[in-house]
Amino acid sequence: MCMTRINYKKMHYRENAQMLQKSKLVLRDGTSLDDLVMRESNEVSLRVMTDEELYHLEMEKIFAKTWLLLGHESEIPEPGDFIVRDMAEDNVIVARSQDGEVNVSLNVCPHRGMRVCLGEAGNKRIHQCIYHGWAFRPNGDFIGAPVEREKMHGNDVDKKTLGLKKAKVHLYGGLIFATWNVDGPSFDEYLGDIKYYMDQLFCRTDNGLELLGPPQRFTLPCNWKVPGEQSGSDGFHTLTLHRSLMEGGVMGGTAESIYDQAPGMYGVDVSCKQGHSLRCLEAEKTFKMFADVPFEGKSTRERLELLTPPGITKEMIPELFRNLSEDQVNQLATIPPQVGGLFPNILIAFIFAPRTDGGSSGALALHTYVPKGPGKVEFVNYIFAEKDAPEQMKRDMLQNSVQQTGTSGTIEQDDADVWPVIMKNARGAVSKGITLKYQALHGHERPEGWVGEGLLYPGFTKDDTQWNWWLAYYDLMDAV
Amino acid sequence: MTWKTKSTAAPDSTTILRGLVSNKRVALGSQVYNRILETLYDEAAALDERRIDDWIAMIAQDIIYQAPIRLTRTGPNRDRDVMRTMFHFDEDYGSLLMRTGRLQKSAWAEDPPSRCRRFITNVRIAECETPGEYEVVSYLYLERSRGDSPENENTTAERRDVWREVDGGYKLASREIIVDQSVLGMSNFAVFL
Ligand code: FES
Ligand SMILES: [Fe+2]
Repeated sequence: MCMTRINYKKMHYRENAQMLQKSKLVLRDGTSLDDLVMRESNEVSLRVMTDEELYHLEMEKIFAKTWLLLGHESEIPEPGDFIVRDMAEDNVIVARSQDGEVNVSLNVCPHRGMRVCLGEAGNKRIHQCIYHGWAFRPNGDFIGAPVEREKMHGNDVDKKTLGLKKAKVHLYGGLIFATWNVDGPSFDEYLGDIKYYMDQLFCRTDNGLELLGPPQRFTLPCNWKVPGEQSGSDGFHTLTLHRSLMEGGVMGGTAESIYDQAPGMYGVDVSCKQGHSLRCLEAEKTFKMFADVPFEGKSTRERLELLTPPGITKEMIPELFRNLSEDQVNQLATIPPQVGGLFPNILIAFIFAPRTDGGSSGALALHTYVPKGPGKVEFVNYIFAEKDAPEQMKRDMLQNSVQQTGTSGTIEQDDADVWPVIMKNARGAVSKGITLKYQALHGHERPEGWVGEGLLYPGFTKDDTQWNWWLAYYDLMDAV
Repeated sequence: MTWKTKSTAAPDSTTILRGLVSNKRVALGSQVYNRILETLYDEAAALDERRIDDWIAMIAQDIIYQAPIRLTRTGPNRDRDVMRTMFHFDEDYGSLLMRTGRLQKSAWAEDPPSRCRRFITNVRIAECETPGEYEVVSYLYLERSRGDSPENENTTAERRDVWREVDGGYKLASREIIVDQSVLGMSNFAVFL
């Protein structure tokens, strides 16, 4: 996978600006979607972060339509087990029914709108609303109302129509995804070309991932799109916002040479028109501790032995060959996907995470940025390990993730400090006219010998993947 | 330590909020009580005044410093709401040194630093099985002012500590911080609790 001598055909995603159709979406004050997401100049108005009307449209056109991540099936192993999660501001029950299926239903009582399930997790055969007592099965089906003979569910109403509203569910590598758009795109259509790369993270072992505990949850005073657009693989901010990684000697380079050496900036960013992306990085060019390991000329298996991907042990290497294609394993061994996101609100960090004790068991974390009003977002941090990993490794990986990501993570506490400030800025009459700029573009380019599909951006990480995130946003907002 | 992956749905005996476990109480107003209380006040002052080296000097090298998450449950399991499988903080001495070292360099989350007030109350103390070690349960109320924002962030928690007598003083040997929120209102824990 040589990136120096490249033989390519440059191709911009939708490069002919003059062919762009004007959007039909116009806000009450006459502002059109084209004034907010400027496809000709690759800019986005800061106003998108505060506009109330836009927020409500996003809830309908994006969060009530697309696939959303709600957890992992290892959280609810037994029939009757349930967790309560949020699809934006719609609260849902995620429950395993008697037949072993995972069901997602709206946690709103169809009688008078009370929340049916008041806990965050547990095990119940029957969910009974505490207001008037209507009862439901874990799959959302209506059972009945108290005092059956009086027909308190309605004189002539068919019980079949009174279940909790059900979402369509898809399990991917044990991750629970759901959508309200029952007739909409399948999960595979939603993933698109990124699936080939995502499979290398989520579908690579015999027994898959498990969640190490319930997610961390905390709120930030900012719009969901502030962290959202960063999840479109903003690699560049690492050099400055996360410079403590370089100062602490984790990544290559020293405090003095951060911008010269630019550790972790060179690789291949992959993306697709659905707005998802992943940054694929060569470990030896990213982390100090791998810099002197002799990888040159080694076979895939030898490389895997020298440097197992984050979360994988040497014993698990045969599993990789069983579950992935040879090309996928080869990529995992040489230039594994490490950070990225799924549109609209998922961040992926499957990183090497070198430890102070010299180990590098890795950290596997997913975040969702759940909208809670125009100016509020809930950060939900899911921390994983491979189910087949030894207990001590799981323990180490939990610690790695907690220490680096989420609530107190030394990497992400800095992100959480920036986002609310951007949000404050977006309120000023003049400030909201400032634009977010995505004009440092590379253009799609296929590295020699690269196997996967998708939009590919080799070299220094640029704005392409994040711009694709905004184009995916535009597409959903523009759709009627 | 015993630690095992568990499903989110299933609670067990580890999920109860415990408070003080030992029943060998150290009486309020006794000399040991007073000196440990004084130590808690000194610790809060060291953190509030950002004398981080002074704080590190109060910590034992085998420290376990954790903040488990809370999870709301109803019915028979309503009191099993502390999930000790997942943490907001999961630290040892080495990682705490790493964190405090980072604060001297580019830790933007605390540069400019927050102005914090740690209020420590409801202190209850008992003797541990190991002589010279004390179980110390306290309530923490933290007010945190960030930048020029007039609105403070705050949080409340119960802290379950073990303090160990060392050279006539006390060192923190373990701390479990049980925050009260299942969804934190604070945007990060870049400060110690
Ligand atoms: S609102 Fe649920 S039973 Fe009446
Ligand atoms: Fe970041």
